[in-house]
Amino acid sequence: MVVSSSPTGIKNCKCLCVVICSLPAMRAALLIQRWYRQYVARLEMRRRCTWNIFQSIEYAGEQDQIKLYNFFGYLMDHFTPASSERNLISHIFRENNICRNVDWERYFCYKSIEVPELYSGPHLSFPITCSNAAELVEAFKNKQQLHSRYVLQLLGETWRLLRILPNISQISTSHSKEITICGDLHGHLEDLLLVFYKNGLPSSDKPYVFNGDFVDRGKDSLEILLILFSFLLVYPNDVHLNRGNHEDHIVNLRYGFTKEVLGKYRLHGKKILKLLQKIFSWLPLATVIDHKVLVLHGGISDTTDLHLISRVDRHKYVSALRPPKRKRQYRSGMTESDLEDDDPTSKPVDSSRRRVHSLTHSSSTGTRHEVQRRSLQGLNNRVTCSVEEELKERRRQAGLSQSYGDLRNSLANSDSDPDSGELLDSYGDEWKQIVDMLWSDPMPQDGCVPNEVRGGGCYWGPDVTEEVLRRHNLTLLIRSHECKQEGYEFCHNRRVLTIFSASNYYEVGSNRGAYIRMGPDLVPHFIQYQANRATRALTLRQSVGRTERSALRALREKLFAHKSDLISSFQEYDPENTGLISLGHWACAMEAVLRLGLPWRVLRSQLVGDTLDGMLDYQLWFRELAITEPNTELSNASLLETMYKHHSNLETIFRIIDTDNSGLISFEEFRQTWKLLSSHLQTEISDEAISDLAVSIDFNKDGSIDINEFMEAFRLVGGDLLQNEGDPH
Amino acid sequence: MAPKKKEEPKEAPKPKAPEPEPVKIPEFNPTEVVLEFTPEQIEDFKDAFQLFDRTPLNEMKITYGQCGDVIRALGQNPTNAEIMYVLGKPKAEEMATKMLDFDSFLPIHQHICKAKDRGTYEDFVEGLRVFDKLGDGTVMGAELRHVLASLGEKMKEDEVEQLMTNQEDSNGCVNYEAFVKHVMAS
Repeated sequence: MVVSSSPTGIKNCKCLCVVICSLPAMRAALLIQRWYRQYVARLEMRRRCTWNIFQSIEYAGEQDQIKLYNFFGYLMDHFTPASSERNLISHIFRENNICRNVDWERYFCYKSIEVPELYSGPHLSFPITCSNAAELVEAFKNKQQLHSRYVLQLLGETWRLLRILPNISQISTSHSKEITICGDLHGHLEDLLLVFYKNGLPSSDKPYVFNGDFVDRGKDSLEILLILFSFLLVYPNDVHLNRGNHEDHIVNLRYGFTKEVLGKYRLHGKKILKLLQKIFSWLPLATVIDHKVLVLHGGISDTTDLHLISRVDRHKYVSALRPPKRKRQYRSGMTESDLEDDDPTSKPVDSSRRRVHSLTHSSSTGTRHEVQRRSLQGLNNRVTCSVEEELKERRRQAGLSQSYGDLRNSLANSDSDPDSGELLDSYGDEWKQIVDMLWSDPMPQDGCVPNEVRGGGCYWGPDVTEEVLRRHNLTLLIRSHECKQEGYEFCHNRRVLTIFSASNYYEVGSNRGAYIRMGPDLVPHFIQYQANRATRALTLRQSVGRTERSALRALREKLFAHKSDLISSFQEYDPENTGLISLGHWACAMEAVLRLGLPWRVLRSQLVGDTLDGMLDYQLWFRELAITEPNTELSNASLLETMYKHHSNLETIFRIIDTDNSGLISFEEFRQTWKLLSSHLQTEISDEAISDLAVSIDFNKDGSIDINEFMEAFRLVGGDLLQNEGDPH
Repeated sequence: MAPKKKEEPKEAPKPKAPEPEPVKIPEFNPTEVVLEFTPEQIEDFKDAFQLFDRTPLNEMKITYGQCGDVIRALGQNPTNAEIMYVLGKPKAEEMATKMLDFDSFLPIHQHICKAKDRGTYEDFVEGLRVFDKLGDGTVMGAELRHVLASLGEKMKEDEVEQLMTNQEDSNGCVNYEAFVKHVMAS
């Protein structure tokens, strides 16, 4: 052991009158300190592991979502409007600028909605006052619900206001105003209330910037929006909202906001969602403080150009996941808009574009609904096969479906392909700028690479930060988008600051939330908090332990969902069918199948129990994972497994197909969902398997299926492997 | 005393007087380290190493500052001085910027693993007994805190706080056998 020969310890102890300055005391101190540092490092490793698990599952889900959406985009681009698959999903791509705002206002009109006398919730009057807004906060704190009439009225006013706001808000700290900046809230109302409690409500003396991702995951997303919008209306110059990647109706289908709204507002939920779709597209994209500090949700890329961004028509980007189609000229002289689904009399397109023969191709075109119904009922195996075959063929010929990555590459290579004219549009450029702003993450190395983990935006390095800040004469970039243990984190030589305001994001005790106070000196000050009183009392080890258990539970559910793939992979390492594999092979197989980039060897001690001489009995291991399978008579194990593996994708497709947002779909739509999913996954799901599944489902009286019930019925539930709920220290 | 210098401005000044020189410890030479890890162990280390690697392009590199954390996370408990030694005594600013790849990490880790005197439970308890003035199996929490923050490789106040949370009884005393068990179990 190299003994530290520094005498400082001895010099500083003169305040202690007992004999401390001796070698045994020094050695004792060193011993304790060494052990302490080891203790902290091991805890840190466990914490990182746990974090990795949650984050990789989260980002894999986002990547999945984008892949699904790209698959739909692919269908849109390559199939005729008469194709049934395309019709099921086309409405999510429908452009909204066909109708005038006046027509939309009529549709969203709240005036006919009566508020019954029995209603005990808050009443709003417009123009809204600050006491109204404060009342709303109180009401939500007391778990009341705002009546749909007021919701629509409030949202309508918000929409009107947002339309006149610029893409980039310019604010100043003059008059010694300190600005408060909040990051992701994700439906965690208790966090927003905590911020208001600690910091005060928004006002002209207390300006706020809310940096996106107000919705999804948490259960009070709508309440958060209503609060933020009401303060926005009262103090339009002092409350600033930036759009996040979750302010996007496609993302909301998967991550819970759509479900929340429909659950809370059964009658008017659909209208509310539609209005929110517009509001999201009209949210400003960034805020600049004193011309020096840039605040936006995701990040930047090497091509970020704020001047370009300030000029775009931001509302065209209803969802950041897909660029808006532009009217393009075809050789036959027709324009793209003629192909839009809103036009029920679609003319056949130029035959130079390859087309699929659909069953309805030769029949006369009726209204869209008739066409849809006919193609749904008329589909038989033969046509289905040809659709799937056609898909395979197209994939082979056209390469991957158009994804952000492809767009980026093609913009870089300036490939020109007349059939995919979109890539040449300046819209492509604009779109990339917007996606980068909402989806990107910083990385420690220099450079700028596509963010393949999330599936959108890029990873940008410190050199890009320097360049972009310099180019725009800025000094600091404040962003959110990534959960941080302490609620905030600097990187890139303190030129980039991540602020995250949803505490306990992954699990109770997983992280703190934070907000920034910034005065004219533009130096950020942080206030941290954790919304659950119980968690504050936990020691670091206890909260790490608790979050760890939760992460492992989620991971075990995922493992179980991939059981058959994992077993095949294990069997490749076990050619003699002994039922045993080495731990090294176990780790390789796990990564090969799950592709979560997790440290399986480090996790081994948590996931694997006893081994015989370093060999694992894998079948036994699965049984010991302590996963409760749903009680079902369904015998088709592979279909069941597909349901576990693609739980979120399935739910997303259901909600897309459920065009009237009723939460119910017909059996035929149910079947179509599976067909779509199987096309996307490029697997075979037979009609017979689907019928078997239908038999096991409890239909409603009218033969419809409740989406929520169905998803719940087929959810895996992980139990706790360990009985003890944590150690006292 | 050194002889007085003659007037020779261009000559470099002679070295200072021979005060007793500290024992010169040779610089750490990673090439001299013989790796005795098994391939399984190396794979395990790779996983842990990767956990601290924050490069999304998975370059298998960590900063110098993280090296100590990785070694400790893998079960060793070197002093900070030992870590600085195996890293070749880097400057403070290098700790955050200089990168270490996995192949360079292995000899460093091996050297730490080979070091004797890891400190057993008994050593630990003996060490704390130094502060047990009454010989009753307890030490004053306040004294322990002070020692940890001012002696040896000083701990920061919040680190001490974290370590000592829930360890003191109502009289502010710490039962050190229990304390040692607490620190050694993670």
